[in-house]
Amino acid sequence: MQPDTQTSPSTQLINLKTRRAGEARVGKFLNKTAYNGLLIVGVAALLAGVAVIVLEHSLHGYLLIALSLICYVPAVWWHRRLKPLPADGTDLNSRLSADVLALLKPGTANQMSGVWSALGDHWQARFFLNHLLLTRPMVAEHLNTDPAALGQALQTATRLADANHSPLIEPGFVIAGMMLASPGVSQLLTQFKARPADTEAIANWLARGLAEEARRDQQKFGGIGRDWAFGYTPLLNRFGQNFSLGIAKYGAHFDWLANSEGVKAIEAAFENRAGAIALVGPDGIGKTSTIYALAQKLIEGKTGQRLAYHQVVALNATDITSTARGPGELEHIMLSLASEASHAGHVILFFDDAQLLLGGGPGSFDATQILLSVIKAASVPIILAFTPNDYQRLRTKNQSLANLMTPVILQELPEAGVMRVLEDTAIGLENHHQILVSYEAMREAYRLSGRYDQDAAYPGKAIKLLGQAVPYSIHSVVTAESVQKAIEQTRGVKASSAAPAEADALLNLEDNIHRRMINQSHAVSVVASALRRARAGVTNPNRPIGSFLFLGPTGVGKTELAKSVAATYFGSEKAMVRLDMSEYQQPDDVQRLLSTGAEASQTNSLLMSVRNQPFTVVLLDEIEKAHSNILNLLLQLLDEGQLTDSAGKVASFKDCVIIATSNAGATEIRDRVGRGESLESFAPQFTDQLIQSGQFKPELLNRFDEMVLFRPLTPEELGQVVQLMVGSVNKTLANQNITVELTPAAIAKIVEKGNDPRLGARPMRRTLQKAVEDTVAQKILRGQAQAGSHIRLDAPDLAI
Amino acid sequence: MLVASFFIWWYGRGWKQVALSIKPRLSSVAYTFSVTQLLRTLFAPWRRIITYPGSSLGERLKAWGDNIVSRTIGFLVRLIVLGAALVAITTVSLLSVIELILWPLLPPAIPLLIILGIV
Repeated sequence: MQPDTQTSPSTQLINLKTRRAGEARVGKFLNKTAYNGLLIVGVAALLAGVAVIVLEHSLHGYLLIALSLICYVPAVWWHRRLKPLPADGTDLNSRLSADVLALLKPGTANQMSGVWSALGDHWQARFFLNHLLLTRPMVAEHLNTDPAALGQALQTATRLADANHSPLIEPGFVIAGMMLASPGVSQLLTQFKARPADTEAIANWLARGLAEEARRDQQKFGGIGRDWAFGYTPLLNRFGQNFSLGIAKYGAHFDWLANSEGVKAIEAAFENRAGAIALVGPDGIGKTSTIYALAQKLIEGKTGQRLAYHQVVALNATDITSTARGPGELEHIMLSLASEASHAGHVILFFDDAQLLLGGGPGSFDATQILLSVIKAASVPIILAFTPNDYQRLRTKNQSLANLMTPVILQELPEAGVMRVLEDTAIGLENHHQILVSYEAMREAYRLSGRYDQDAAYPGKAIKLLGQAVPYSIHSVVTAESVQKAIEQTRGVKASSAAPAEADALLNLEDNIHRRMINQSHAVSVVASALRRARAGVTNPNRPIGSFLFLGPTGVGKTELAKSVAATYFGSEKAMVRLDMSEYQQPDDVQRLLSTGAEASQTNSLLMSVRNQPFTVVLLDEIEKAHSNILNLLLQLLDEGQLTDSAGKVASFKDCVIIATSNAGATEIRDRVGRGESLESFAPQFTDQLIQSGQFKPELLNRFDEMVLFRPLTPEELGQVVQLMVGSVNKTLANQNITVELTPAAIAKIVEKGNDPRLGARPMRRTLQKAVEDTVAQKILRGQAQAGSHIRLDAPDLAI
Repeated sequence: MLVASFFIWWYGRGWKQVALSIKPRLSSVAYTFSVTQLLRTLFAPWRRIITYPGSSLGERLKAWGDNIVSRTIGFLVRLIVLGAALVAITTVSLLSVIELILWPLLPPAIPLLIILGIV
């Protein structure tokens, strides 16, 4: 037999002239409806034939029986051979699925466009298109036209089938192969913010779905006599949720977790006769899913003899508490539940949020003694779920109880595992909400939840974010933008690309900052550039947005620039955590910075401030005065973008701008600028001097993105500062509809009186207050200024 | 070619498939009736309904009697179900063997039956 087209020696192409391909076409023609029709006619003809022979004694009945066989034989052929069309060998044409072979037309299977046109409407092709947000014509237009590319695509399809342990090469694998072998499609995907690797990921997702569907049909749960050797559980049915029976009734899809380390560890512990297990993991890590996977494995009898057909019953502490009328009844219920579980002989009790049973948290009650006695008796297997903190608390407060439990620590899934869970979640969301979840939305949910949700673990936090994105779907499609909007709404962060207005503001950041502060152009430009880089997403996401060391004399605008950054980038001057580092000069002061809980509010904890307000400017004033322990801590903060509290919980500084200020070398800067040197010319030498004088360690200076030198303000610039301050006075007077203006002579007088070379612009505020605000107040009180008045003050008018 | 495909399959893999499907079919019937479980627990008390013996002789005798009743009920129920399983397994076995024997005869039976019907 000749293939449909010429083949190169190294590749195989589709041959539609094989016996298998012919069978696939007949199989498609004889579909499910025809099969049912043949069976009905066959059975009817058989019955009629027998009736005619027996009742009428007519040999014509044989004709009817022949008709019955004419229907039955092809029906059986279709059902057992043509429909499944299993793989007949290991070469390409022996493995192509019935759908591929039946849909392809002779003469078109030798080029990608022909294969695409035949398979493009198959549901598996739509699975790709929908999740990559592409259309059929778009892909068709970008397919590789090189005749050799189809061979390459089919090789990829075979590789994907092998990787997924699929004996058949499904249409989805061929589709993926064609997309991966077409550079044009890769470019198209890039344009749509997808990645070529997503195609392969979707092929694996599809293969997993097909395999799970096949397995689902074969799920068995022990037969009719499964529970006859075990006891009744009326009380547990009332208070508990039987995971196992739920799975047996509605099915489950926890196969992927059934062989996880967590499930294996629980099984091994119970096989070794452990009485209780402490299942430890942070929120979102999948403690409950692990128990569901265990329940599925047990109810399918896929465990050792000791645990086969055991059922997992989850008990909710809050439900039990709300039912009991007092502590006595509560104890009675708890003991009855344990006794019933023990007597039934096949129950594993599961307590989610177990600390609620041990007197921790709202809605809790203390069942420690009851649990202690039940676990000691080892009459019923128990699993208690804890977060790491709760487990630590239990170990501290009640070591005897903790020692009776075998701890099973769950580890966070790697990215591939989380994406697999998100794929399952997406299918659930799609079915429930009648929407479509794009693959890039899933990736974005993974990325953004990792970045902005430090409190929970994967995969829970990514699942949560994907669910939160559903209301932001556009035309019933959840995209990466939907996920970004969801996180922006729930966390108050800027995750999406800058909108035109915002982009404009970022591009003009220097101008915006200069509306608030005078000169220091170099400093403003350095900071503005860093913020633009961060917002455009080109900086290292694992470090703070920007970190700067502002060096210069007092009163030259260091703090004002920090405030301007807070106002222009984070939207408010209040988005700033300010710490005077001269208050942190003792070794123990590190604890104050990292304190959590009740003492945090009293100690001005940096950690808690940033946890409460993660999108903020952290201003560390007079950094050189802090103790070296604190400077070491700062090294970690600048390097990793995070700090860890005593409980091991991480606080992220990745969305902060870190600004440290210092007056170190202020005199040197003032003198050099006074001699006419520019900041840029002596900055490197100045840095060396700071290191040599021991004021800063080189490793600290190297950690900052930029060291920014501020120069003293000239009298002209101080005049501009005065004008800015008058602007602020006018804002205050706006509600009285009064405006104030200073003549140049008045400004010069204020500068002269308020300028102190050591203190920069700082005394200016006091001078202005005395000179302008006092004068205006007197005019208002004397009735010389009313609503609508414009007060012009000259030098002699000023009360200084 | 299509007719050849049919006959090659019918007298080749198809027939083999029918033979190979007998064992899983019987296993499935046995599983549906929980045969292994029931045999393993044949004399176990019905749904663990048991009386724990007290300290006095009377209480012990009563508990023994109660437990014997529970075990007898369990045994009878399981025996009945095992009987039903046996019937089902026998029926499925017979039908499977008949299918296996008749399988090669079905295609040639069609022209034969037509000739018989006409003649």
